[in-house]
Amino acid sequence: MFVKRLVSLLALVVIASLLLAACGGAAQPAPAPAPAATEAPAAVEPVATEAPAATEAPAATEAPAEAPTAAPEATLTAEEQAVIASAAAAEEVKAAEAAGKTPIRWFVGVGTGTSPDQVAIQEEVVKDFNASQDKIQLVLEIVPYDAGRDTLATQIASGAGPDIVGPVGWGGSNAFYGQWLDLTEQIAASGFDVSVFDPALVDSFQTEEGQVGLPFAVFPSAVYFVPEYFDEVGLEYPPQNYGDKYVLDGEEVDWNWDTFTEVAKRLTIDVNGFNATEEGFDPTQIVQVGYSPQWQTHPNYFGVFHAGSDYIVEGKEKGSFSVNLPEGWKEAVQWAYDGMYGEQPFMATGPMSNSPEFGNGNLFNMGKAAMAVTPLWYTCCLADFVNAGLEFQAGVLPTDAAGQVHGRVDADTFRIWKGTKHPAEAFAVLSYLITTGGDKLLPVYGALPAIPEKQDAFFAKKSEQYPFVTPETWEVFKAGLSYPDAPSAEQWMPNWNEAFARGDTLWDLLQNTPPSQLKFDAEWQKYLDDLNVIFNK
Amino acid sequence: MFQELNRGLPKLPTIRAYREMTPLKRREMREGLLYISPWLIGFFVFTFLPILASLIFSFMNLRITDGITSTPKFVGLDNYAQMVKDPQIWSISGGTRGSLWITLFFGAISLPVGILLPLGIALLMNARSLKGQMVFRSAFYMPYIIPFVAAVFLWGGMLNPESGWINRALISLGVPKESTPNWANDVNWVYPTYVIMGIWGIGNAMLIFLAGLQGVPTDLYDAAKVDGANGWQSFWKVTFPMISPVIFYNLVLGVVFLFQYFLVPLVVNQGTGRPGGATMFFNLYLYKTFFTFQNMSYGATMAWLLFFLILIVTVFLFWSAKYWVYYAGDKRS
Repeated sequence: MFVKRLVSLLALVVIASLLLAACGGAAQPAPAPAPAATEAPAAVEPVATEAPAATEAPAATEAPAEAPTAAPEATLTAEEQAVIASAAAAEEVKAAEAAGKTPIRWFVGVGTGTSPDQVAIQEEVVKDFNASQDKIQLVLEIVPYDAGRDTLATQIASGAGPDIVGPVGWGGSNAFYGQWLDLTEQIAASGFDVSVFDPALVDSFQTEEGQVGLPFAVFPSAVYFVPEYFDEVGLEYPPQNYGDKYVLDGEEVDWNWDTFTEVAKRLTIDVNGFNATEEGFDPTQIVQVGYSPQWQTHPNYFGVFHAGSDYIVEGKEKGSFSVNLPEGWKEAVQWAYDGMYGEQPFMATGPMSNSPEFGNGNLFNMGKAAMAVTPLWYTCCLADFVNAGLEFQAGVLPTDAAGQVHGRVDADTFRIWKGTKHPAEAFAVLSYLITTGGDKLLPVYGALPAIPEKQDAFFAKKSEQYPFVTPETWEVFKAGLSYPDAPSAEQWMPNWNEAFARGDTLWDLLQNTPPSQLKFDAEWQKYLDDLNVIFNK
Repeated sequence: MFQELNRGLPKLPTIRAYREMTPLKRREMREGLLYISPWLIGFFVFTFLPILASLIFSFMNLRITDGITSTPKFVGLDNYAQMVKDPQIWSISGGTRGSLWITLFFGAISLPVGILLPLGIALLMNARSLKGQMVFRSAFYMPYIIPFVAAVFLWGGMLNPESGWINRALISLGVPKESTPNWANDVNWVYPTYVIMGIWGIGNAMLIFLAGLQGVPTDLYDAAKVDGANGWQSFWKVTFPMISPVIFYNLVLGVVFLFQYFLVPLVVNQGTGRPGGATMFFNLYLYKTFFTFQNMSYGATMAWLLFFLILIVTVFLFWSAKYWVYYAGDKRS
């Protein structure tokens, strides 16, 4: 009888342990031998793959941030670290409430801000803010980038979203469209002086949802170029003042995209030393291209640079949405396609661009491109370039045929979640972060301050990093702030993540498919048709 | 056909049968249920409920990023209607084809290789004249025990257009560098690349075929020989029918595996669909719809489409089995 009871008891223990094991899950699941839908844990595919894969840059505004993600603890996945971070923040919120303070939770993990050095500075800023007053307790919640979007989505879905999110760019923000507070009321109520910013930058955060952000970290664009390569072929450098002419073959011409193209062709050199405009040029043996878009390859980016920004979504609700891409955007993408596969190419094709010889997509850094058109954050990624003894400068962006400049300014900022219970306090924190707190935060984010009087310090630091860069070059970037893309090239589209990814797919197809296998017009039409479907899913 | 499938399965107990049980039988049954309860509970919580949830989601407009600011609503068959006309799934034209077309196209290339190659190797392994059979069997099976992700990375290195030794070997054989394949980054080469990577894992299928071949009675071959059958006739009239259940088994598994093809494009091309959307397989697109595009309802709808597609193909295969699968001791129906 005793034995029987003992066996029954043991059976119950075994059952209980099995249940616990089943509920708990394995700490380190063994790799599955064969793929199946259910075997793919979310962790397998980091959200970041959308952006910084081999051939593609980090989603613009998140760019400088993503590379150095906080070193994960050896045994914890990004998701597990996120859970721990969220739990710790929740405890701090409780403690603040118990102390009679208003807790404001600051979520970091959907853009820059997750590398160890950034974490330390952010903690310092939180400490400074909490010491500066006694009514609000700022709580920092840092989630690894790879788990950032999923964690934030889950928190928002469960009604437990953070008060402040950021730094976050347009792409990261649009993934959570509809979740951001219109700051208009808070700006008026608090008397915050927005005149410290360039009005064009303030307006760039004015969307159909209202004033959803204020300028903080900005990344104007310019034409990066290698003076040495221009000297070798006897070409003048790109102008460094908007409105200046370019001297080509002894004649003054407009610095527009046609001129840019001609210059790029002459800077595209094959293994025999011929440039793309010369007879005998071998497009299969290119050793240097004239131009690299340097991760500004989404159709929206090409479109904005060449033809200007525009609202691209029509319709008010699901079922009625449709895409309205300007004809100029199509021409811009066609221009890039011809630049790769035309008779006189001046850009790298996909196979060329993705080869280690051409820096796996980072051509300018490898010294394989004479010019690149990309935002200021690209100064983050030029270590190989400098180590190779090369130097760069920056020129102004080319104009369109009508003489108009169409720039692009990437921007990271902080957003307030619409569901916050403390909008006034959250705005007090936000205004601190983008002003006083920014003094410590911006250098570690590697970002240009949106407040003009703080910009010289940023460029002084950049000059230490790149001593060969002239003050005129930094002025080019400053001048670029006057040409923001409003609405942003990363503007909201319905079903943003999928819609934007479809643009990347189009570019990837164009980059990897010669005209003998692809009909450009048909692919463009298919792109539009697909967007119309994606918008209404 | 379903009667055939159900043949041999124990009948489910009824309440009446339970009442008619002796106390001892009842206790045995209760204990039995207790012992399997962890699995039952686990199945209910981690399999049945998610299946049910996905079915419900497919009739809603649930998007996780909508958060608390909007309430998910029932939308009837909207998601299904949307899916039916989704070019991302069905498109068969242009450079960027639909995910289902990609899956079926790849299956049409990959499946014959995945069946015929292991069968061929198993036939070689089964040849009496082969010396060192154990060594060869181990060698062919060994790759299968290497974790698949590691193998995919390994192949990624070997097939690297610049540094991979396969292209280097081609160059050393006189192939011009610009003519060497760009493998996984080339729209035209990516499917053959995946097929080559898949060959790495044929050890298991080979072993199953080999077991089937070794189960064929030798006297059948002797009889065929006496009747004057040549090698091909012997294979076609004896070997094939005798191992047809094994072929059928591998075929069903292969079809299901291909519909769920996921890991290779996820690892090799980072799940982006590169090059040019050519690797956006249905299951990968489904996964991205759920977790990257965060459209839970549409993802659930796609999951149900996948389920029904696999079901239809599997039912078709089972239906067709009566025409070509031979079970020893059974009559062809």
